[in-house]
Amino acid sequence: MFVQTLLTGLAIGGIYALMAVGYSLVFSILNFSNFAYGSIIMLGAYISYFAMMKLGLPLGAALALSILGAAALCYLNERLAYSPLRKRHASSLFFMISAMGTAIFLENLVYAIVGAHFYAFPEVFTKRNLSFHGVSIGVLDVFAITFSFAAIYALHYFLQKSRTGIAIRAASYDIQVCSLNGVNDKHLIGLVFCLAGGLAGISGTFLGMKYIVYPTMGWITNKAYIAAVIGGLGSLPGAVVGGILLGVTETFVSAYVSSVVRDVFSFSLLVILLMVMPTGLFGRFLEEKV
Amino acid sequence: MWQYVSGVISLGLIYVIATVGLAVFTGFTGLFSLGHAAFFAIGAYTAAILTYFYGFNFYVALALGGCAGGLVGFLIGYPTLKAKLRTDYFAIATLGFGEAIRVLLENLPITQGARGLPGIRGETNLPVLLVCTTLVIWMAWNLIHSRHGRACIAIREDFVAAEMMGVNIFIGRLRSLVFSAFCAGLAGGLFAHYFCFIQPSMFTSYMSTQMTAAVVAGGMGSISGPVIATLIFIGIPEALRVANIWRLVAYGLMLVLIMVFRPQGLMGYQELSLGLVKSWYRRLWKGGRA
Amino acid sequence: MRSKFSTLIPLVVALCAAVGCDKKDNTIKIGQAVALTGDNSTWGQSEKNALDMEIAKINAKGGVMGKQIQLISYDTRADATEGVNVTKRLVSDGVCAIIGPGQSGVAIAMTSVTEPANVCFLATSATNPKVTVDDKTGQVRHTAFRTCFIDPFQGTVAAQFAAKNLKLKNAAIIYDVGSDYSSWLGKYFTTEFIKQGGKVCASEAFRSGELDFRAILGKIKGSNPDVLYIPTMQKEAALIMKQAADLGIKAIPMGGDGWASPDLITLGGKAVDGSYFVNITSLEDPDIQGFIKDYRAKFNNDPVMPNPVMAIDALDVIIDAITKTGGTDPAKLTNQIAQTKGLQTLSGVFTIDPANHNPLNKPAIIQEVKDGKFVYVTKFVTQ
Repeated sequence: MFVQTLLTGLAIGGIYALMAVGYSLVFSILNFSNFAYGSIIMLGAYISYFAMMKLGLPLGAALALSILGAAALCYLNERLAYSPLRKRHASSLFFMISAMGTAIFLENLVYAIVGAHFYAFPEVFTKRNLSFHGVSIGVLDVFAITFSFAAIYALHYFLQKSRTGIAIRAASYDIQVCSLNGVNDKHLIGLVFCLAGGLAGISGTFLGMKYIVYPTMGWITNKAYIAAVIGGLGSLPGAVVGGILLGVTETFVSAYVSSVVRDVFSFSLLVILLMVMPTGLFGRFLEEKV
Repeated sequence: MWQYVSGVISLGLIYVIATVGLAVFTGFTGLFSLGHAAFFAIGAYTAAILTYFYGFNFYVALALGGCAGGLVGFLIGYPTLKAKLRTDYFAIATLGFGEAIRVLLENLPITQGARGLPGIRGETNLPVLLVCTTLVIWMAWNLIHSRHGRACIAIREDFVAAEMMGVNIFIGRLRSLVFSAFCAGLAGGLFAHYFCFIQPSMFTSYMSTQMTAAVVAGGMGSISGPVIATLIFIGIPEALRVANIWRLVAYGLMLVLIMVFRPQGLMGYQELSLGLVKSWYRRLWKGGRA
Repeated sequence: MRSKFSTLIPLVVALCAAVGCDKKDNTIKIGQAVALTGDNSTWGQSEKNALDMEIAKINAKGGVMGKQIQLISYDTRADATEGVNVTKRLVSDGVCAIIGPGQSGVAIAMTSVTEPANVCFLATSATNPKVTVDDKTGQVRHTAFRTCFIDPFQGTVAAQFAAKNLKLKNAAIIYDVGSDYSSWLGKYFTTEFIKQGGKVCASEAFRSGELDFRAILGKIKGSNPDVLYIPTMQKEAALIMKQAADLGIKAIPMGGDGWASPDLITLGGKAVDGSYFVNITSLEDPDIQGFIKDYRAKFNNDPVMPNPVMAIDALDVIIDAITKTGGTDPAKLTNQIAQTKGLQTLSGVFTIDPANHNPLNKPAIIQEVKDGKFVYVTKFVTQ
């Protein structure tokens, strides 16, 4: 049972890691929690579902469409809901309310237009599981983890080697100085949101394939926040480690204690970490200083 | 007909009581809470258990329900506010506490878990509600117009400056939280004795959302604003029986639009008063400033 | 200026008109509290369709006692507080009785309005015994009735079928701790299964809205059950069965009436084949074939069992009470419905047990999921 639980934990941890990276990316630049990220993930799932069902596209094309769609939506979200507030130097409370409003709006818009119906992705892999020594792991999970890590590595490579990547990393230290050095911060922020949206599209698709597609699936991003905090806010490798760690520990709590207290455990972990070690494992110091 | 209308008004007043508390917390102190329905639930269950199992007097049970809410608010607030969590992490922590409370309610034997408590005495009626609402608004008014209230506003506007001026941020925020939790608990007790049946699944994030939306729409800096907004939110959908999903879509959209275009909400920083109504009338009738 | 007020006045008048109720004395108003949106909407929509179809038929034949029936439906969203609002609305609209709801939590909440108003309701698929009998006092609720079976019966049927017909000895139960339907159905199954000589080797809870059951299924796998009882709604059941199959759990899955939606098959795929569940009625029930044909012809879809049939049973009971009392006084109807005996309704012969307002001697139906379809196995009567 130990190995099985570990494998199950890794599978869900991979998805948390992907979401945490997207979330951390936005956070590191703008220092704000994008509560609407969950609804972008949900929309990514719906886009790929309908691409596969209505347009009959194969998984690869549906995934690509979902990445593009989610990136566009995330960018639009930023333009419409956040940049007017940033221009006015609004307080973080206003950003949060705007993000919350966007999340509620998108979620219920899907409810109203598409309906509350649950959708299940068609089976893509002919063999559902790999079994060995009494434990089994889903083929989808293996694929999802591989693909997610490939995407994260691609992002990492982009951030390290390209000029825009360097600009993004500079902006995560201090966006004002960065713009003083000639970086167009509006474009940069837009690009970061597009990247985060792309990652959201991937995680949404895999989440939908692993379970089902329905309007409130975005709330799982609360786990992404926790994972990002564990790993350390503003650190992308931290987000990955945090995601895996959270997935594994949660699953162990579920299996060995009780599935009912799993979420309580995760949130308590969050609160304790924030009180005791707010920088997480790899992060930078960013408490509200007084 | 009157029974139906008084039912709508009663429900509206119950939410008004909870929203006034939240108005002090979010509107005047600037902290965002995603789990206020938990305090509502605690007040409801405490008051209900006292009258249901132990035959307490209704008014005593109500008061104790409110105090239970306030106590839990204190317990939750002490560690999280002491740790100076940033606004968004505080919000997620409140979400976590909301979850923890629900797990507790689903699993404790005295709350009868998912079965809930059916057959609670129906003691809440319009006169009781009117008295409670007046009481709560009076308390909130006095709180806001005292030095404690001014401290809260200072904390909201610029907590660094406030701390430098000698305002104890921690105590100020904690006080707001306990007051708002008390109001929510009181409203919960009234709720339980109005519907005569409570179950953990009735206290959803939808409830928290509606209260926050009312505070934002009503104006963060006013008490009468959220009161009016709550009555509108409860009243109009009942009168027009619009499909409920669109109601939530409208809430979400409204939150974003208010943040972008009119962050001061309906009433801004003003209270409803005769002078204000007169100035509106003059502006409408005569046009231009009055 | 003036125009602002001149638009306001008609608006206020229109609002009053919308809110006010019309007093047409030549229609019989029957209310329906139904979940038209939300998780339970597949049943709710089907229920409303069936009622609309049946009432249109009755009205075409001249209505009841010369009056046309008007169905007033409001959406409860399967939410208890919304159910109470809906009921208040229906009572003020002047309905003589209410059909629905389909959820026990909503039904129990509604009694706070129907008892003082003395307007009865006939729940269609609310299976919790507490709906009709007040838990604390043990008294039957005057205005609460139902046309379906109750959970203790359902759990007993499942346990007896598993033990006697399928000869299974070792059961594991996964239930939703946030749903009273789920937790109690699991308890009723457990009691009866043990009485039949079986063993319950594991009983695991999850929270409402959970999607990943692999952790608890891993735990269950270790205790080697041969039947997995899943007393949840179709969404969780489908996911559980899928994930159990992934983990290589060989137990036969069994469930209750919460499974009875076509969603179970679309969400679960091949993993749900070979599972059994208890239902109130099914598409193959010989008694209702005429109704099924009409429904298919009109709506191009199969009705989602059992709500449409239960709703029509309720309609039959109400109409019978109206003809027997000769009027639509809700208080008189409530008394008359409690005395319903031997009435021929859509699903069979209907008698209300006056002690608990539940239908007497209604058999349950066992269905198997085979090749992506619900297949009728047998009508089960408990021993």
